[in-house]
Amino acid sequence: MKIAMVMLHHLKGKKKKTSAQSFITDLFIWAFLIMAALFILGPFVFMFTASSMPANDIMKMPYRWIPKGFYWQNYWQGIRGNDGSFIYLRNILNSLIVASTVTLTTVILSALTGFGLAKYHFKGRYFVFMMILATMMIPFEVIMIPLYLIITKLGFQNSYQGLISPFLVNAFGIFLMRQYYITFPDEILDAARIDGASEPMIFRKIILPNSVPAIATLAVLTFKSQWDNLLWPLLVAQSEEMKTIPLYIVRFTAEKHTDEGAMMAVAAIASIPILILFLKLSKYFIGGATVFSVRKG
Amino acid sequence: MTGRIFSPGIEHKKARWGWVFIFPSLTFFALFNFYPIFNALYTSLFRKKLLSLKPPKFIGFDNYIYLVNSPDFWNSIRATVVFTIGTFIPMVIFSLILANFIISRKRFQKFFQMAYYSPAVLSSVVVAAIWLLIFDPRGLSNQLVNFILNTPGIDHKWLANSIMVQISTMLVYFWKYVGYFTIIFLVGLASIPQSIHEAAEIDGVNAWTGFWYITFPLLKPTTILVSIMSMLQCLKTFSTQYLFTQGGAPTEPINVITLNLYHTAIRDHRIGLASAMSIILFCIMLFFTWLQFKASRSDEVSY
Repeated sequence: MKIAMVMLHHLKGKKKKTSAQSFITDLFIWAFLIMAALFILGPFVFMFTASSMPANDIMKMPYRWIPKGFYWQNYWQGIRGNDGSFIYLRNILNSLIVASTVTLTTVILSALTGFGLAKYHFKGRYFVFMMILATMMIPFEVIMIPLYLIITKLGFQNSYQGLISPFLVNAFGIFLMRQYYITFPDEILDAARIDGASEPMIFRKIILPNSVPAIATLAVLTFKSQWDNLLWPLLVAQSEEMKTIPLYIVRFTAEKHTDEGAMMAVAAIASIPILILFLKLSKYFIGGATVFSVRKG
Repeated sequence: MTGRIFSPGIEHKKARWGWVFIFPSLTFFALFNFYPIFNALYTSLFRKKLLSLKPPKFIGFDNYIYLVNSPDFWNSIRATVVFTIGTFIPMVIFSLILANFIISRKRFQKFFQMAYYSPAVLSSVVVAAIWLLIFDPRGLSNQLVNFILNTPGIDHKWLANSIMVQISTMLVYFWKYVGYFTIIFLVGLASIPQSIHEAAEIDGVNAWTGFWYITFPLLKPTTILVSIMSMLQCLKTFSTQYLFTQGGAPTEPINVITLNLYHTAIRDHRIGLASAMSIILFCIMLFFTWLQFKASRSDEVSY
């Protein structure tokens, strides 16, 4: 079998494709991929170019893809807001606070829980895992109203606690960490126990340092989903001071969608942090997308 | 293995640590996940108003009966179904094509992956805001379509016409997620052994036949996964429709279940009715998850 494969390889090397048909196929594939890339990247370019043009230029036909200069007034107007309150800065800060806190708690709690479920053979652990997995099937929209009532009862309305507490930990994170830890060798843990390490110490000194890739994946995905969150803040944050970036964009768009340049500047400001994160950590973003398609454990 | 080293007493102590590690999460889960589900089910049987001092009144299944007879709710079902079908089918087809094309290239694989995935990183509100401007009567969409069709000066009413606004929301969603599913297909493709392709090539199978009779059947589990995942994603759509209506588009054609749910709960304060709506949405999604589970069980492929 192996010899046959080697022979096939040699044969393949000799039989070089030169026909016109394969050249056309090749050309078609490149054209298709490039067209798709233009379609995907076009709106990005539009956002950044439009954010640096005066509103009159944006709606000119045909669209000028290379701006004449940098019209910084759009960014000033976007940050200053229509009422000059500079509330966008506060909203950006809120988004940062909420997204970072949620990311931190999700990572810590998911790692702890994932480790507990993967490496401790207590009774009912399979049941607990299944219960947690089951909640993955429940869309947020279904529990959003009861959550809203709970938050109101706790007096967390219009506060950071209210924005954060429903997202302290999630099933996806626990699933991800458990799958990661389940293949971790038991021998290493037992060796540490014999050396007198306590269980919390094992978690801190052995488990955490050895799960950086999984933690990074979970962290970027959690941060991204909080940065994107619209529905929950829409319910909880009533005052302008407590609103997050998506809510500001909604308000800015609804109030003043004639000032297209400023609108795109607001959108660009919201996107720059997450795009930088994506360019720096793309493998964790892309790795996170494929968690469910890789069957393991 | 560990049994040989440790006495049962230590095993027992170790098991206790397991509970200690999962306890904090379990508490939060109980409060913010398990309880709300049952609460939603319970609330859907009551007439309950938000911010009302009157105690909620038990009305059995009246909320569900009301919804079944409500043209407004049926319109939402229609909007959601049309949006889901109109979005996920092109999304699955195009992401399959793109993944196959990317993997057939020797260069720029990484670039195309990154480029196609990038919209999934943006927040949905930003995406909706960008497309709101592109769909402006003077915007890029009209310019491009008029250029292709050679019909200068025609406004295609992307946000005003009731059919066009539905197509527009589909296009936005397609743009945002097609790359995401391309990546999942790429992983599926990478797991097909190269030797199968080579053997086929030797047998003189051309690219198209090879795809149709070899790659596609082997990709069936991935295709099912992507179909269901994208379908569930589409059923939950909210941000695009919300921002479009805020930006002046008509509500009725794109009043998807989630948007209707939000309005019923927050604008109309009808908590009981909104809960019933959310339970119906949940059942629809549960049905598709069950379908995915069944499909992935019966269609194991071995290479």
